[in-house]
Amino acid sequence: MKEALMSGPAPHDTRTTGRSLGPEAITPLVLFGLTILLVIASRWISPNLGGFHQVAAIIVLSSFLMVVAFGQQMVVLIGGLDLSVPSLLTLGGILTFGWSTASGWSLIWILLAVLVVNGVIGALSGAGIAWLRIPPFIMTLAMGIIVYSAALGITAGTPRGHPSAALASLFTGRILGLPPIIYLMILFVIAGTALQSYTPFGRKLYALGTSPVAAHVAGLPVGWLTVATYALSAAVAGVAGFLLVGYAGGATLVMGQSYLLPSIAAVVVGGTSILGGRGTYISAVAASLLLTTFSTIISSVQILEGWRTIIYGCVILIAIAALREDLPLWLNRSLQRPSRPPPQAANAQSAQ
Amino acid sequence: MFRKHPLWGFVLGLVMAAGLVLAGLGTAARAASPKKFKIYLSLSYSGNAWQSEAANIVKALAATPPYDKLVDLKEVISGTDVQAQISAYESMIADGANGIISFPISSSGLDKAIRRGCKAGVLIWVYDGMVTEPCAYSVSYLPSGFGENTAQYLVNLLHGKGNIFLSRGVAGNMVDKRHYDGAMSVFKKYPGIHIVAEYYGMWDDQTTQLETAKALAAHPDVDGIWAQAGEDGALKAVLASGRQKLPKLTGENSNGFRLALANPAYQARGFNGVSSGSPPASAGVAFKLMMEQLVKGRKLPFHNILYPLPWVPANQVKICTGSTFENGCNAFPEGKVPDSFVDEVFNPTLVPELSIASALEGKPTPGATIQPLPPNSYFKQSPNVPGIDCNHCQAPADPYPLTKVTPFNSGT
Repeated sequence: MKEALMSGPAPHDTRTTGRSLGPEAITPLVLFGLTILLVIASRWISPNLGGFHQVAAIIVLSSFLMVVAFGQQMVVLIGGLDLSVPSLLTLGGILTFGWSTASGWSLIWILLAVLVVNGVIGALSGAGIAWLRIPPFIMTLAMGIIVYSAALGITAGTPRGHPSAALASLFTGRILGLPPIIYLMILFVIAGTALQSYTPFGRKLYALGTSPVAAHVAGLPVGWLTVATYALSAAVAGVAGFLLVGYAGGATLVMGQSYLLPSIAAVVVGGTSILGGRGTYISAVAASLLLTTFSTIISSVQILEGWRTIIYGCVILIAIAALREDLPLWLNRSLQRPSRPPPQAANAQSAQ
Repeated sequence: MFRKHPLWGFVLGLVMAAGLVLAGLGTAARAASPKKFKIYLSLSYSGNAWQSEAANIVKALAATPPYDKLVDLKEVISGTDVQAQISAYESMIADGANGIISFPISSSGLDKAIRRGCKAGVLIWVYDGMVTEPCAYSVSYLPSGFGENTAQYLVNLLHGKGNIFLSRGVAGNMVDKRHYDGAMSVFKKYPGIHIVAEYYGMWDDQTTQLETAKALAAHPDVDGIWAQAGEDGALKAVLASGRQKLPKLTGENSNGFRLALANPAYQARGFNGVSSGSPPASAGVAFKLMMEQLVKGRKLPFHNILYPLPWVPANQVKICTGSTFENGCNAFPEGKVPDSFVDEVFNPTLVPELSIASALEGKPTPGATIQPLPPNSYFKQSPNVPGIDCNHCQAPADPYPLTKVTPFNSGT
């Protein structure tokens, strides 16, 4: 019975009716559309922009953010926040870099080991949040500091290891003219979306995020779902570290630091409610692409760094304001009744 | 709670006796060993290769005989926050430190704490960066002209025309500004040089790689890259873009970059450049000078010591066979050290005691003993750099003289 309840299409969203597009479909379309517009418009800034190579470069650059955003989005979906992402990404990178030489493990085994180590650490965070009732940001912040400090102590500041040629070829190789990482990312996004939207586990997270009390009353294993979500977030942060070692050919203790705020920005710009219960991974993917495209374009414009950061911040604000959840509703209404203005607006005008 | 019990007196007596015995042992131990100098190592932040190498070699030198018997070294990491380093200095001074060796987070923010330390008789040495308080001592390459010399080298390689990227350090940092001002003093003389992208790589390989990749997407027609630390990331971004013709690249001292400069396959694709910039060895030199002051009473004629600018053009890269710089070698084979390893942690004249294990793990080299430093005549005084090593002082008439390379159109 519970399964039947959870596997229906978007059970949490009771506002959209009929066959109109729900916010979950419109948000990613708007974001993808904006990205394409940006790429086309960028030719105006530099004639070299907007080409095939630039699009491929942007997808490669945003792949790390897309991976990290998957975990962050799941955590935000259940009303939490994962601040340990940078440390766990770094840990994944250090382990990958170190293991590539030590025993000559094949990449698959290294990836599995990273998933397990990071998953266990994430599960510990989840357990603290679920059963010790520690607020998520405190728990993940503390776990992040512990992991980072342990990494600093063990590596003495310089992670050792060997770059893996096979891992690097994900970025330097070409399959049908594109780096293999692009195909892998398409698979990752499909798998992530499927896990989130078409499995009982994914649907239960929506229920948990909408109302933990109701989820508990409905008999969902709230504690274990929380543990699994944080474990998943930690594990994919490790995957991002794994990929970054392939990209950069090495690991540093600061490699994760630039992914905390972008991961949250991608999730929020992607329309996931920071209170939990609403949002989709595909929108976070679209937002990752949009943010990376924007930062690529803005870095090719000759302006002072301070202004660049200000513009970047403004774009995030505008995107969040423009993608408020009532926007799709408004769009639907105006699409259904294109000619007539809403009655409130008409009243307001006549009152003046 | 503490009701009188026949056993109490006995227990009390036992504790007192034990205390007396321990105190006696302690006194005996102290009397047996010579006086140790209490030295503090105050770091900004540990987490990149440069910072950890600099800290590691100080630890390795402090553990090398005879300093292992003379030094009690304690390490304090203060993040990137000036306030934290000020309070760290204060507690070191209060703890009766003989010396503080430090990577200064700010060139002027630490002045008051340093002045208090000097008054209390603490020797204060800074490395790499400099401070405006004149009672502190420093060993730094900073005024030796990294920015202008590498910029001129790049201009010469490009014959005065082409599109270039500037890969800078940390926005708003004095060191980044000094390098940038020096470089711009050269670039602005050449109208054929077009700066098509300028970005901040945070002196970090990965950030530099990502930022360079973004710039390459917009400007695939780049001819040269002028980079501060993080140049190995810039190189990786160029290689990952799959282009056949490689741009010229000037940068700092990472092993990956030096190996690439010497790589014939890359040279055939047009790769060329120079490896220069910040040497972690300055930390070791500062520590040894401080120890000679403490142990031998060495007197120095000036406080700010200039570390000569490391300078290794592509045709002078020489791979080492051992685990330190010897016989003029200046890079290590792939796999022996990470690509991000900063090679200029070694200096056969000034810090011959060090090996790769010292730089990576802080371990003394087996069998090594501390070698004396050259006489005062060997060292050069730093020129004035207002706001970096002095306040209210006059900069030299030409603040950015070229020392390593001659300008391209002066007939050479």
